[in-house]
Amino acid sequence: MSVFQKFFSKLTVENIKIELMRTAYGNEPTPLAKLDPRMLILWVLIYSIIPWLTHNQTILIGLTLFTAVLAYMSRVSPLLIFLLIVGVISQFTYLVFAAMFLGNSFTVLIAVIPVTMKVATVSLATMAVFTSMDPEKFSDALLKLGVPGKFSFGVSYGYRMLPILIEEYQNIIHSFRLRGKLPAKPGFLYSRYVFYYIKMCIMAFYPMMLNTAKRTRTTVEVLEVRGFSYTLENNIAKDIKLNYLKMTKYDYYFIGISTLITALIYIVGYQFPL
Amino acid sequence: MSINKERKLTQSQKMMVFVLSMSLFGLSKMITELLPSNEVGPIEFSISYFAFIPLILAALFHPLYVAVGASVGNIVFAGLLMGDFGGIGEIEGFIEFTLAIYVAGLLVRNPLSKVQLAIASLVGVGIDQLLSTIVDIGKVWFGVEGFDAVPGLPESIVVLEGVSFLNEMVITGVLVGLIPTLILTPKLYGKIEPLLGMRPRDAKVETSIGSYITPGLIATIVILTFVGMIAEFIAEMDMNLAFWSADFINQFADDQKWIGYSAWVILAAGAIFIIYKLVRKKGSGTADLDQAA
Repeated sequence: MSVFQKFFSKLTVENIKIELMRTAYGNEPTPLAKLDPRMLILWVLIYSIIPWLTHNQTILIGLTLFTAVLAYMSRVSPLLIFLLIVGVISQFTYLVFAAMFLGNSFTVLIAVIPVTMKVATVSLATMAVFTSMDPEKFSDALLKLGVPGKFSFGVSYGYRMLPILIEEYQNIIHSFRLRGKLPAKPGFLYSRYVFYYIKMCIMAFYPMMLNTAKRTRTTVEVLEVRGFSYTLENNIAKDIKLNYLKMTKYDYYFIGISTLITALIYIVGYQFPL
Repeated sequence: MSINKERKLTQSQKMMVFVLSMSLFGLSKMITELLPSNEVGPIEFSISYFAFIPLILAALFHPLYVAVGASVGNIVFAGLLMGDFGGIGEIEGFIEFTLAIYVAGLLVRNPLSKVQLAIASLVGVGIDQLLSTIVDIGKVWFGVEGFDAVPGLPESIVVLEGVSFLNEMVITGVLVGLIPTLILTPKLYGKIEPLLGMRPRDAKVETSIGSYITPGLIATIVILTFVGMIAEFIAEMDMNLAFWSADFINQFADDQKWIGYSAWVILAAGAIFIIYKLVRKKGSGTADLDQAA
């Protein structure tokens, strides 16, 4: 319990904001940061498919460990790891619980373990890659791969604007709390407090929507002055923007090493299946 | 009167509506991810998303751009930024949610009518939750090895998904969907549109619902739902994804073969579409050159 209390004392909005900004901008010299973003996207896609192709538990353990090591090397933030663990656990506990309750057996628990490992592998691979990738590079890579320009714009806009949006939302919440009044009695199971906070979270979106609308108009008008929509459709402009993306020797090393490790995991898995 | 005529947007206004919906819904999704959830036994009482944001925007602006924007926001903010990206499975959520919000937006003909807003919010959240409940049940049905052999699992999954559907409808649909939509839409109507440089929708437009629900729309809905379901099944099933190998169909049990066949059909349709696009793109590419020259 004390571990949880310690964790939740750190879980303030301020800390979350810092962690998210670190995910978005903290481009530390991690091993994955130097790689070509297109290659990394492809790598994540492959790694989010291969765990689903096998029932062999040794291979699954190997893949989970490999992605966990990569996530550790990319210095994924503890907040994201915590959210991942909570997510994975809560996704399957209810199923196990219910089947034990209704069917009185533990077989479900064993049936569910491989699925849990598969989900964990995919999430760890995603986190490792997106912590180390610069948002600008990521959206350029998407554009180069032929993703609609609006989506890749959305990605880089999201990364850049998110800290500002969170701060603004937090300020609105603060002013609501300053002017508002907490219910005198907590009510049954703190229900009055819960409703008070939920109502505040919802009502805070009213000024938020208006402010964001104003900001959106400014952003889009500035973009259009620079010919944004036209640039996205013009192939020559796109080529000039994107020609810095190149595969280097380092990329080929990475492909080689991760193929080798994956092959090794598969060989060990077929030799000693669990 | 067609929807494109009634809620016409210019190029940059489309972008504004898209960005607005994306950032607001992405932010709200992030907040709901961080809110604590109360679990009573296996049933979870939590807000899965603030449904009122896309609902209000879809009632006030062109629903298509709002719906696509909200789905993109969901993937970018809650998926990529939080490290919770589901791969192929995200396609299912994207299609379901876009569809739900688009249909909800079409149902609102007069943004000041409470009845229409209420129907739209319930139908919107209902479509999304119903589709995801069906897919969830199917996922465990096909996904867990020896599903029928495990005692109690088939009954429990159906009961649990049913309860969680009702629970979602009450919390996400009514508490953070219907009620805030009814309160906030009249407040925002006429205020938020000038900020984006456009005129508010004409509240007195009386068009029949039949003019929106065209056969084309219904066909698209059915096809998209089906594509989403197949994508989710394929993503969740423990199976070989080698579509081209002869074993691909054989790994399904006899009564599941349709999943394999439809994956083939979707793949083929996608390939044809991409080839068609590429051929056309080549044509437009030379046009670009000509223009630049």
